[in-house]
Amino acid sequence: MTETAIELTEVTKRFGSFTAIDKLSLRVERGEIFGLLGPNGSGKTTTINMISGLSRPTSGGVTVLGVDMLVDPQRIRRSLGTVPQENALYEELTAEANLRFHADLFDVPRKGIEKRITSLLELAQLDERRKSRVSTFSGGMKRRLALVRALLHEPELLYFDEPALGVDVQSRRALWDRILELKERGTTVLITTNYLEEANVLCDRLGIIDRGRLVALDSPSNLRRSFGDTVLEMRTQPVPAEDIVRKVRALPGVVSAVAADEWLKVTVEGGAAVTGKVVTAVVESTSLEEIQSREPSLDEVFQSLTGKELRE
Amino acid sequence: MSLRHNLRVVRAVAAVDIRLTLREPLFAIAGIIIPINFLLLFLLFAISGGQAPIAVVMKTHGPLAGQFVQAMNNSQSFIIHTASPADAEREIRAGTVVAVVTVPQDFDAALNAGRRVDIPVELNNLNVDFTNDIRRAVPLSITSFYAGAFPEQVVVRAVESDVQEHDTGYIPYLAVSIVVAGLLLAALLQGSVNAARDYELGTVKELALAPVSRLAIGLGKILGAAALTAASAILVLGVVILVIGVQPLHPLEVLGFGLLMIAAFLALGVLVGTLVRRRQQAIPLSIACVLPLFFLSGPFGPANWLGEVPGAIAAVSPLTYAIAAFEHAFHGFQTATPDLTVDTMVLAGFTLLTVALTALVFGRRGVGH
Repeated sequence: MTETAIELTEVTKRFGSFTAIDKLSLRVERGEIFGLLGPNGSGKTTTINMISGLSRPTSGGVTVLGVDMLVDPQRIRRSLGTVPQENALYEELTAEANLRFHADLFDVPRKGIEKRITSLLELAQLDERRKSRVSTFSGGMKRRLALVRALLHEPELLYFDEPALGVDVQSRRALWDRILELKERGTTVLITTNYLEEANVLCDRLGIIDRGRLVALDSPSNLRRSFGDTVLEMRTQPVPAEDIVRKVRALPGVVSAVAADEWLKVTVEGGAAVTGKVVTAVVESTSLEEIQSREPSLDEVFQSLTGKELRE
Repeated sequence: MSLRHNLRVVRAVAAVDIRLTLREPLFAIAGIIIPINFLLLFLLFAISGGQAPIAVVMKTHGPLAGQFVQAMNNSQSFIIHTASPADAEREIRAGTVVAVVTVPQDFDAALNAGRRVDIPVELNNLNVDFTNDIRRAVPLSITSFYAGAFPEQVVVRAVESDVQEHDTGYIPYLAVSIVVAGLLLAALLQGSVNAARDYELGTVKELALAPVSRLAIGLGKILGAAALTAASAILVLGVVILVIGVQPLHPLEVLGFGLLMIAAFLALGVLVGTLVRRRQQAIPLSIACVLPLFFLSGPFGPANWLGEVPGAIAAVSPLTYAIAAFEHAFHGFQTATPDLTVDTMVLAGFTLLTVALTALVFGRRGVGH
């Protein structure tokens, strides 16, 4: 059995003259939770469409679970569970009817299906609502039911589009726990998300796509570290002038320095020595009223790589 | 994918579509009401275009006058009732009759004496179709009356030989078109609504991401839509057979071609729904696309009578073959197409072609996350 769950090799996707994906190469290992991040229009959805066989690449190769998508897409679909963003549930049918329909489509053996549906619904705390129409469910319940449905045929690879979308905080945590449990059981999980916290909590690795290209690929902590190890936020009186910003930016170990209102935000790499030099430079030039120190956030990494905020 | 799995998918898709249709009564009702409306439309058209209501004022009750009115009755152009001069005048002013024909008091005496008789015909010349019917039919009635009453004086006569074994009344003739239009619309609407629904609700992803053949999904959708179409078909056939009173000569042909036609136009409906992807657009588009084709396919008479271009269109229209097949099933004649084998092959071929096209169009490549 191959150790690679998904492998994209030099994949390009064009729509007419527009290149949505440009020679993208990416590998997702078996058993990991991989997050795909990117601003709207970055090519994230196009990539997922090619992985799930809904779209063909213009050039390059897509291999899922060791099978070439162009050669045997049906085999891949059998091993792929999907939770789309809009759930794709039949709202006028009951939860159970949705699951039984899915079982028919995926040819889940009839023997034992009742037991499997019951146990999955119990895990998702939906067993009491199995005879209720989906249209009466809350957003979180629908999300959980869509996950149950995706797991019904015991997929090796699960694609979850925006897990936390439309889900309240309490349900979100429960969903994340379920996804982490899946990882424990060896299921590979691919998620797309715009929630930093979600990416942080769930993902072993993150791929950031922008304008059809992979601009970063690493674990969340490594990505943050690559951006710098400390962010200093300093409130000055008067507000930081441009010459102070320039002076700080010129110091060795400073990754970036930005003034916003009365705050000067400086990202540094090199630990306490660099931090000390930055503080000294600021104090020499102006009155330092307040100082805060923290790790860089994923949002800052994302913004520095794509020039956009994650939830744009 | 095994045959067993394919059959499981066909059954499951059909069952889900039936349940969804029943739970969304608005679209289900539209799928029944629209064909029924067309049925009524054709029926009214047939009734209004078939025979003109006229009032006859009998100022004499002599035997020749009686024979004349009988000749008018036999012309199959009028719905006759006798009326007093005052009632007849009131009726034509009110528009309830097209004409008032007055048989004069000296009708019998004048004819027996060999004198000329003028028959007053008061005509509501509201439109030339009705007017011309009366203008043609009254002289025809006079001729046929004269040939009956004074055969030795009428030396020119038409010797008719019929192509068909029996005459077919205008309403029974149009009844075939009514059936075809009803089945066509019912099948097309149900098929298109069922297919568009999955795109509209986003559930098409559940189908597109499943490891199943597109053909199995398409067949399941056709089968699901067939259930409700069957309800419309029974209703339409019930009206034609039981209410209008047109009995089919070959009931098994009605059943067989009915099923074949439903399959053919359900498949077309599924294709339309797959292309349009919105139910509210699928309904008017389905109607707009097929009605012109229907009218060019000879519902009111052989299509090639309309001219070269309409005739050519009719020759490639599957509806021509459907109408021809139903004409044979109801009346036993076959005019527009060579025989029932050709009708069957064309309709079956059209069904397979449409199903294949639907499978091609159906959306894996048109469905995205």
